Amino acid sequence: MNLKFYNKSITGILTVLPAKEIKFEDEMENYNFSAAKSLKLKMAMGYNKHRIVEDGVTISDLCIHGLNHLFEKGFLKKEEIDALILVTQSPEYFMPPTSNVIQGKLGLKQDIICMDINQGCAGFEIGLFQAFMLLEQDEINKVVLLNADLLSQKVSKRDRNSNPLIGDAASVTIVKKSEKPNTIFANIKMDGTAFDALIIPAGGFKTPSSSKTAEMVEDAAGNFRSLDNLVMKGDDVFNFVQREVPPMIEQLLEKAKQTKEDVDYYMFHQPNKFMLNKLADKLEIPREKMPSNIVENFGNASGVSIPTAITFNLGEQLTKESSLICLAGFGVGLTWASILMRLEHLSFNEIINY
Amino acid sequence: MEKFNANIAEILEVDKVEMDDELSSFECWDSLTILSIIALSGENYNVTLSAAEVNNAKTVGGLKELIKSKMK
Repeated sequence: MNLKFYNKSITGILTVLPAKEIKFEDEMENYNFSAAKSLKLKMAMGYNKHRIVEDGVTISDLCIHGLNHLFEKGFLKKEEIDALILVTQSPEYFMPPTSNVIQGKLGLKQDIICMDINQGCAGFEIGLFQAFMLLEQDEINKVVLLNADLLSQKVSKRDRNSNPLIGDAASVTIVKKSEKPNTIFANIKMDGTAFDALIIPAGGFKTPSSSKTAEMVEDAAGNFRSLDNLVMKGDDVFNFVQREVPPMIEQLLEKAKQTKEDVDYYMFHQPNKFMLNKLADKLEIPREKMPSNIVENFGNASGVSIPTAITFNLGEQLTKESSLICLAGFGVGLTWASILMRLEHLSFNEIINY
Repeated sequence: MEKFNANIAEILEVDKVEMDDELSSFECWDSLTILSIIALSGENYNVTLSAAEVNNAKTVGGLKELIKSKMK
């Protein structure tokens, strides 16, 4: 589905990373593979170190830390926030929404819409779509988009497929009505028939967690995980991304009447280096235009991976310059979405630790 | 498919392969090897393979036949 939005802009992006860093080598002994095989995997996938929260830290801790930083620096005022969108798959409760909890803890005004959205790898795009739609309202002038996930807590430490790549993080993105006219092109598709390609099977209302769902079981490849853990069909996800993402980007650019060369940066979801490099090659985009360095430095924090890629790779640059950026998220759902928009003269674009 | 043997040998980290070599007998055989084969098949032959299909192919020759059978 093709989408268009008018006269909207992002004015700042902040990424909040847990300070605790774990190296790939320190977890290798948990895996049922030889050191040589694990090190080869590290090279191919670009694994190195990842950021993980300390026990007991929740998404509201990271989000509130980030928002308070913006209040203190004068980048954002509490009374300006007309909507608070939180995209997460690590909510604090089934009820109420965690965005309401954050509103209460920060003492934000009652004239506000708080909304949790359950989305993962395409969570930045979905959150932006929602922000753009809310900004159509006369009384909504500024939307705060929060992306936050702590999926390290749901990944088995003995799962070499998922544990080395996962990271925890949150991001705060300010979305406003734009002062000068613009058109933002986007598209999105979904395929719920493959809902189990990336899934945490137990813990919801369908299969509540129990001692049975906590039992660790070895899979055919030698990984141990329980039904309470995140599980990913790596081959299916790889094939899905290589099949669906290139035509999605071609279609986006065609609708926007832009060429691949017109785009300054391709800021894509960061599953691993292997998949991103294959994607860049297939799209015939120079690899330096599509950074793939988030997994090796911080881990993949689902919907936070794109804001992390933007703040890490283009931090100060985007506060001074203007760049045409193509965003693309793909994964859980299955959901895949892309956006072509200009990011320019951001008031802030940085990373802080929690 | 003239480069198939050389490409597969490179993925399997050996100098050369025989058609009846069993895939799982190679020292380096693991999920990364399977993913590399899936990527090779997609890039060079435009054929999509699943991990299960690669495993079921059993031998180097079986894998070659599988890819051939799925080429249009």
